Amino acid sequence: MKRSKRFEVLEKRPINLDGFSEEWAEVGLIAMESEYDPEPSIEIQSGVVMEMDGKRREAFDSIDLFIADYGINLDNAEAAMKTDTLQIARMLVDVNVSRDEILKITTAITPAKITKVMSHLNVVEIMMAQMKMRARRRPSNQAHITNLEDNPVLMAADAAEAALRGFSEIETTTAVSRYAPFNALALLVGGLCGKRRILSQCSLEEALELKMGMKGLTSYAETVSVYGTEAVMTDGDDTPWSKGFLASIYASRGMKMRFTSGTGAEVLMGNTEKKSMLYLEARCLFLTKGCGVQGTQNGSVSCIGIPGAVPGGFRVIAAENLMASMLNLEVASGNDQTFTHSDMRRMSKVFMQLLPGTDFISSGYSAMPNYDDMFAGSNTDCDDYDDWYILQRDMRVDGGILPIREEDAIGIRNKGAKALQAVFQYFDLPEITEAEVEEATYAYSSYDMPKRNMVEDLKAAERFLAGNTGFDVAKALWEKGFQDVSENVLDMLKQRITGDYLHTAAIFDEEFKLESALNDPNLYEGPGTGYQISEERWSKMIQKENILGPSAL
Amino acid sequence: MSNTEKRLELEIKELGTAEPRGEADEIIIAVSPSFGVQQRETIVGLPHAIVVRELAAGVEEEGFKPRFVKYYNSSDLCSFANEAAKLSGSGISIGIQSKGTIMIHQRDLEQLDNLEIFPQAPLYDAEIYRKIGKNAARYGKGNTPEPVPTLNDQMALAKYQIKAALLHIKETELVVSKKPPVDLELHIKEVAE
Repeated sequence: MKRSKRFEVLEKRPINLDGFSEEWAEVGLIAMESEYDPEPSIEIQSGVVMEMDGKRREAFDSIDLFIADYGINLDNAEAAMKTDTLQIARMLVDVNVSRDEILKITTAITPAKITKVMSHLNVVEIMMAQMKMRARRRPSNQAHITNLEDNPVLMAADAAEAALRGFSEIETTTAVSRYAPFNALALLVGGLCGKRRILSQCSLEEALELKMGMKGLTSYAETVSVYGTEAVMTDGDDTPWSKGFLASIYASRGMKMRFTSGTGAEVLMGNTEKKSMLYLEARCLFLTKGCGVQGTQNGSVSCIGIPGAVPGGFRVIAAENLMASMLNLEVASGNDQTFTHSDMRRMSKVFMQLLPGTDFISSGYSAMPNYDDMFAGSNTDCDDYDDWYILQRDMRVDGGILPIREEDAIGIRNKGAKALQAVFQYFDLPEITEAEVEEATYAYSSYDMPKRNMVEDLKAAERFLAGNTGFDVAKALWEKGFQDVSENVLDMLKQRITGDYLHTAAIFDEEFKLESALNDPNLYEGPGTGYQISEERWSKMIQKENILGPSAL
Repeated sequence: MSNTEKRLELEIKELGTAEPRGEADEIIIAVSPSFGVQQRETIVGLPHAIVVRELAAGVEEEGFKPRFVKYYNSSDLCSFANEAAKLSGSGISIGIQSKGTIMIHQRDLEQLDNLEIFPQAPLYDAEIYRKIGKNAARYGKGNTPEPVPTLNDQMALAKYQIKAALLHIKETELVVSKKPPVDLELHIKEVAE
């Protein structure tokens, strides 16, 4: 065939490097509304669920059983299940129906029912509902802090800069898992060397993640994964009860945590029981609720290539974020994984959470160039900051971060690196040289950093974890002259005792005041209500160095 | 690989149930249910014959013995790699899925932990697999080797995640739960195109 020149150009556009797939309901490769999804039903006898979503109690698998016994508010279940799904969908977008009124219904229905509610909503309606159903009044954002070499000095500097930009949480993981104690330490020290009390976590194998949390090297946990089918759940050596047990350990130590789930995970793990991605995610969310956990990281997360490949992918991802809010869970809403070569496509995805606002719009935003993002790259990275700021400015939308000045970034990065250098000295860990501090201060990425002796670092990391806690870190900082950072670290540890930050969707503002769904809930009821950007914040949001003013002309 | 003159083909013979041998110089290379049989190359078309050759060569270069064992009971990498580490006389295993995702495991670690993990299968070539074989043997000696350099391509997922899912679904369909692992005898044959 003689080729059309236009089609030849189109073929080379970035969008055509993405992977796409047809729906294949038999293996669960379908966003929502599969013919294999169950019909909603519930039958309750003497306070016990005897039938749920077309299945009798004796046929329940462990996930059904857990949801039936712990995940649904049975007091209101019979009435809620009688409410038509179309009516619930309309209540979601009706500004005259309050969030509380909707929660009474949505926490008392079944996974199949909530999935059906979603099928009535288009993407704009999902966003309207998300704006109303978000738990915390103010939306915020989370950053990834990692690098290819697990270089702790660079990580401390990156954490410091992320806090200055206004991220409320920072998350790290490792390239080599035995580096984990240093990664956690770098985020703790670097993240807390400014004014803001930022929450930090280290995503790892669950036992080690818990251990570092209990030792006070991290202040929250997120990567506690749940799945919508029993086969995938047991692949990870887990049951709903073991996850609930893990959740209660975190709670007993006064530590914030959320679960993680998302559409596409069961497809990727090869066990969907022929159910749609959204129905399986509904099961995950009711399971999360049943464990008493305050929130979730969902929105397909690292599996976005799966829903992203089938028709209706963005819609289903926005719908699953909304479902979590409808169960009164904090939502860290994905946007944390590279899934497309197309800039148009990746920002369109973000808009679905940025415009309505979620508790954490990204979970998280790569604070480094994407090749240093050890979560396999995020949807947005440090090269996108100015685009993000200008989009906030264009639309008067709060995406959780603010523009900063270059000299301030340099200053805080230097302090983060120096503080970590001092802590390494105190604990007699492999030296952080002046040259490393200097490079980390001005670096673009790990390529700029001098190589460290990884073998020595790995040995020292193990030794450090065995002998020390967050309290020792506070002590080290104090004795090395970083009293302000030391106090911040200690303040975060005190939170374990007061427990305020265990409330749903808790973060800290610049003055170490807590913002959560309890003391600062989202009360959106139409125009002029809910979260409003303050004039002070707006004036910071619109400032950029290349913006013309009358004085410049 | 199809345009090379000679193609390498893997011949696999199943021996009996894999039992502990207590040989301190063995590294078990644990393969998933469809490896080398229903699926014969990685997600980017690297023949399993080459993967196997490089892993074995890496282990042997360090004076250790590779032992190939097939796991039927799971396609979940952490799960069968950890099982293999517990079976391995050195306490070290390499686990690999058909699509090329690979990890080094150790018997005392939690199942979901690992010594080294290589989660981005589209990026791995013969050279990386050889290095992984070498490092596994070094751990087997009780050394702490420099980890194999981490590769990261944030675009790999955009292009390959859906293919990875479909390959994994195909592999998982072949899981036979509770079927014990079996020792394998491998031969690499050159076939003229």
